[in-house]
Amino acid sequence: MRALSDNAKGKIKLTILRVIVYAILAFLVFLCLFFFYLMIINASRSNAQLATGFEILPKEHFIDNLVNAWNDASINIPRGMLNSLIIALATAVLTTYFSALTAYGIHAYDFKGKKFVFTFIMAIMMIPAQVSALGFVQMMNKFNMNNSYIPLILPGMAAPVVFFYMKQYMESVLPLDIVAAARVDGSGEFRTFNTIVLPLLKPAIAVQMIFSFVSSWNNYFIPALLLDKAEMKTVPIMIAQLRSADYSKFDMGKVYMFILLAILPVMLVYIILSKSIIKGVTAGSVKG
Amino acid sequence: MATVQLVNIKKVYPHSGETKKRKKADVSEKKTNLQITDEGVVAVQEFNLEIADKEFIVLVGPSGCGKSTTLRMVAGLEEITGGELYIDGNLMNSVAPKDRDIAMVFQNYALYPHMTVYDNMAFALKLRHMPKAEIEKKVMEAAEILDITEYLDRKPKALSGGQRQRVAIGRAIVRAPKVMLMDEPLSNLDAKLRNEMRAEIIKLRKRIDTTFIYVTHDQTEAMTLGDRIVIMRDGFVQQIGTPQEVFNHPANLFVAGFIGMPVMNFFDAELQEEAGKYFVSLGGIRVELSAEKEARLKAKGVKSQSVTLGVRPEHTDVADTGILGRVDVAEMMGSSVHLHITAEGRDVIIIVPTVDLEGSFNMGDSVHFTFNGKVAHVFSKEDDHNLEY
Repeated sequence: MRALSDNAKGKIKLTILRVIVYAILAFLVFLCLFFFYLMIINASRSNAQLATGFEILPKEHFIDNLVNAWNDASINIPRGMLNSLIIALATAVLTTYFSALTAYGIHAYDFKGKKFVFTFIMAIMMIPAQVSALGFVQMMNKFNMNNSYIPLILPGMAAPVVFFYMKQYMESVLPLDIVAAARVDGSGEFRTFNTIVLPLLKPAIAVQMIFSFVSSWNNYFIPALLLDKAEMKTVPIMIAQLRSADYSKFDMGKVYMFILLAILPVMLVYIILSKSIIKGVTAGSVKG
Repeated sequence: MATVQLVNIKKVYPHSGETKKRKKADVSEKKTNLQITDEGVVAVQEFNLEIADKEFIVLVGPSGCGKSTTLRMVAGLEEITGGELYIDGNLMNSVAPKDRDIAMVFQNYALYPHMTVYDNMAFALKLRHMPKAEIEKKVMEAAEILDITEYLDRKPKALSGGQRQRVAIGRAIVRAPKVMLMDEPLSNLDAKLRNEMRAEIIKLRKRIDTTFIYVTHDQTEAMTLGDRIVIMRDGFVQQIGTPQEVFNHPANLFVAGFIGMPVMNFFDAELQEEAGKYFVSLGGIRVELSAEKEARLKAKGVKSQSVTLGVRPEHTDVADTGILGRVDVAEMMGSSVHLHITAEGRDVIIIVPTVDLEGSFNMGDSVHFTFNGKVAHVFSKEDDHNLEY
């Protein structure tokens, strides 16, 4: 009898614990998703409606806002999206590829000064972009490279954080015997990297591509300093421009709609790449 | 299908800052006796070996003896610090692995996990731009030899350890390399599978007929597979010879103890030279060495001295008189009993065949044993070398 009641007590305790845990999780989910919901709601409200304050239900101006934003005379949204897409995609691909290549160099080869190189790359991580921005912008102006994609793509390729992540990942999944096996099989160093190493890094590459894409897509600071031609402007700059439009043209509904449009590619990239974030890609290669 | 020559090969791992510091810290608890010089840690030195075409050479020794390093130097995966390596008469020291025409099987298989078994095996051939039809023919042939045809579409993770090792071997043999290198290919398999694969390697060797260099720490593998065995310790070659040679004529105490299961029994004994005849005496018995051994000792001018005497368990006989010992453990192995006894202050193992054994051995029993002068090995007390050589 006594044992049974103990058992029952334990069950109640467990249930209470579960309720608390789920409540906390539900609250966190709410915190994460509520603002997305709010954005969608606000994208369906007119400027006048938005001025009245908080609303929980969608309104009827969704299509109006979409048409207004898309056809806005002062900003070219399709062009801005295209600019951002080119820059963000190129950055994501190049950053992950070259960071993985650098990490592979440090991981797989023994050379003098390897430790110094590693420390040096790590030290770069400590320097915030703002510190070098002024010099960088001046240099780009001297090179006549403002209003070009290149200064927005190339510097991002040297990404110490991505490099570090890739190196740590390699240490856990890339046995050097596979590299040795490829060498003996007759594969050159670059081919080994591209056909053997890269596929094994797929999950890490997917994660870092998402991060690089998002941070490049959201980047405002450097593009704002470099881009002044209308047809070169990226999405964050255009959003800022829309928000700071003069009073007569100001339409908050349009701004919300643009923000909604701006996050769609990010979500799309996430959905496509998250499929690659699977564990156990190397399972079966070497005896664990 | 090639000869391999290693001339005075040497490998030194240079100090990094870290190892220098570490060196001071734990001199006392080093794993091996590898030489540490100003240049760095010497992993292999004075390695001289001529491997004939189609010979099967086994490098054997305890872990850290430099056998894998030597193999990796032949493969081109480790730089050669000193000496020369020739394959088919061509100097290979600075030739890239891919241009040496060698294949290698790794201890941990090292398969490409994202490729199917077929692609794993075809990878090297594709790199050589072989026509597709020919690649398929070769892969199918190799798969058939290794009995893995039904797994060709699978990824390595869907295979068992034994199957994976077959794929790794398959990947090596499709290329018909000049030299086949194997780095402890069986040590990740369980005992039963290991015995099976060992037999398969012997069969395989007959079929593919190429030069083999095989690394293992298992003396049974070395004895059963090798045409010749190279026994290594602390970066030095201890002895090179056929399995029979190293078993019957160990060059030193280390080889004597390393080759043979169970290990050779060692005693402190006196070697006595009287008018060209040699005797060993210990525990109240005196055994004359065989004429062959006497001739060799005589030729070397060996004098009377204290020696370490080695006699294998299978050559030690229980007798009515002889050296006295006390039984510690009697292990029944079926066809024989392994008798662990203490005699002359040493642990001794005697293999007693069960065929005409009457009664049994109990702990604490006294036994007498003796041995024949043909099977006694005498080693120098000073430097452990076999006094006959």
